Amino acid sequence: MRSLSSRLEQHALSAPDRRAIAEGARRIDYGTLWAQACAFAAFLKTSGITPGDRVALILNNGIEAVVACYGSWLAEAVVVPLNAQARARDLEPWLRHCDARCVVHAHDHADALGVLEALDTSILRVSVGAANSGSRNMDWQEAVATPGTLDAPQVEPDALAMILYTSGTTGAPKGVMLSHANLAANVDSITEYLELTRDDSIVTVLPFYYSYGQSVLHTHLASGAFLVIEQNLVFPHLMVETLAREKVSGFSGVPSTFLLLLNRVPLGDYDLSSLRYLTQAGGGMAPAVANRLREAIPQARLFIMYGQTEATARLAWLPPHMLDAKSGAVGLAIPGVELQVRNEAGQVCAAFEVGEVFARGPNVMLGYWRNPEATASVLIDGWLKTGDMGHTDTDGYLYLSGRRSDMIKTGAHRVHPKDVEEVLAELPGVGEVAVIGVDDDTLGQIIKAVIVRAPAADLSELRIKAHCRERLAAYKIPKIITFADALPKTASGKIRRSELQQQEAS
Amino acid sequence: MHSMDHKKQIKRFVLENFLFTDDENALANGDSLIQKGIVDSTGMLELISHLEETCAIKVQNEEMIPANFDSIDAIGAFVARKLAA
Repeated sequence: MRSLSSRLEQHALSAPDRRAIAEGARRIDYGTLWAQACAFAAFLKTSGITPGDRVALILNNGIEAVVACYGSWLAEAVVVPLNAQARARDLEPWLRHCDARCVVHAHDHADALGVLEALDTSILRVSVGAANSGSRNMDWQEAVATPGTLDAPQVEPDALAMILYTSGTTGAPKGVMLSHANLAANVDSITEYLELTRDDSIVTVLPFYYSYGQSVLHTHLASGAFLVIEQNLVFPHLMVETLAREKVSGFSGVPSTFLLLLNRVPLGDYDLSSLRYLTQAGGGMAPAVANRLREAIPQARLFIMYGQTEATARLAWLPPHMLDAKSGAVGLAIPGVELQVRNEAGQVCAAFEVGEVFARGPNVMLGYWRNPEATASVLIDGWLKTGDMGHTDTDGYLYLSGRRSDMIKTGAHRVHPKDVEEVLAELPGVGEVAVIGVDDDTLGQIIKAVIVRAPAADLSELRIKAHCRERLAAYKIPKIITFADALPKTASGKIRRSELQQQEAS
Repeated sequence: MHSMDHKKQIKRFVLENFLFTDDENALANGDSLIQKGIVDSTGMLELISHLEETCAIKVQNEEMIPANFDSIDAIGAFVARKLAA
């Protein structure tokens, strides 16, 4: 196994002046990126961080997030990229659960600062973006000025490289443990089918704290390619201007990313002839949207992909030339991975029989951090039980048909209804609450809360949303709130979410 | 409507629809709506259609840039320029 840091090192040594990352007006080449990662590693080591210690990142996409990730690996530490949009009620349990020894955060992240105050004072803090703001806070610029060069360490393939939290904190947090070998294997598979080379370049807006964003980052750096970081999609035409200006060869998104571009930007007005590949994951793309995308950017090959964080990122891909023949499919297992659809009895399903998707391969996680019960429920006899339902056709192409869980997919985000329900239930005046995802043309799903008010409670929609905004990331705040006299329940008193969902659809 | 009134009205819209409050102090007129995660891509569309309806202006694609929309001050100045044009 060649670790991701040794691949970065190789590009830094062979072509130090090659451009690696652009972020707004800032640019960094491979040589400087490597030097900064080495300096950050030296800083961590001199500050007492030892192999296996967790280094948490609370950062938006940016050069610092990349340097901190590779620098941590060079110090043989474990990177924990946390959702930078999360509020204190998620950040604190995550930091406690992973027992972070170092936290790298934006200097003005109010929730991170508040949480760090409440936590163990021995945690090493590195503040990005402003001058040193206190004796316990190390400034980023100083950290990456630490003298030190080193060779990429010989890491054990199964050594823990990263923890990615996939859910909120209702119950025990689920931190997906990925080894260096997991990351390397998934990078190899993806690089192979996308045919990435050092001449490729990509604009990415996918957060590095999600597996898809991580995957785009590492596949391109491992190829010696060029990444252009865009912070958001608030003005979609600016993103398209960047695609045209930088003449990039690739672009990755979730279905809502492509819908925003198709619906809001006159793509024909831009020269997008440099685009060679488009990748889509994070939820099903309607065949009609895929067709519009191919009409708008005809020379680019569209890769429909499927995976999950527990499999590092990727499990299946649909070869672009099969898009018409296998419309609606998520494709075939990626190189090195086996997929099976199994029925309730655990037997492999025949073609067209719907069952649950299981996966096996070198990209399947080590387990959930400090959560053996959750691990045992999904890692069974060397297979990953994905929770996704689907079937294969006679050629072995996989088609998905929903999930076992109630997870809501909204834009690039995954939201567990319980996380939102728990917050709503804390608001005085809320008797009962159920949260569901309802279909949305752009975002895939949006969040809806159905609330039963307590007797005589005076609760406005504004009051409820304000309560959520204090406690939840903006994307978790219900867009629709309705009031009901009662919620549909089973005989044992469990809320029938599916019934609410059906009411919504009818 | 006077441009000052426009600004107040825009602020009220942002407070109610994105911060869910009527507390004027929850947002400074110079605060970045994008950096602070107050307005996302769908929020920006809502904000722009609101401006088009209430201020009787038409926002062109090339005008949709952070310099015109990233703060209450910026939006106020943009609307004033549009109305004066």
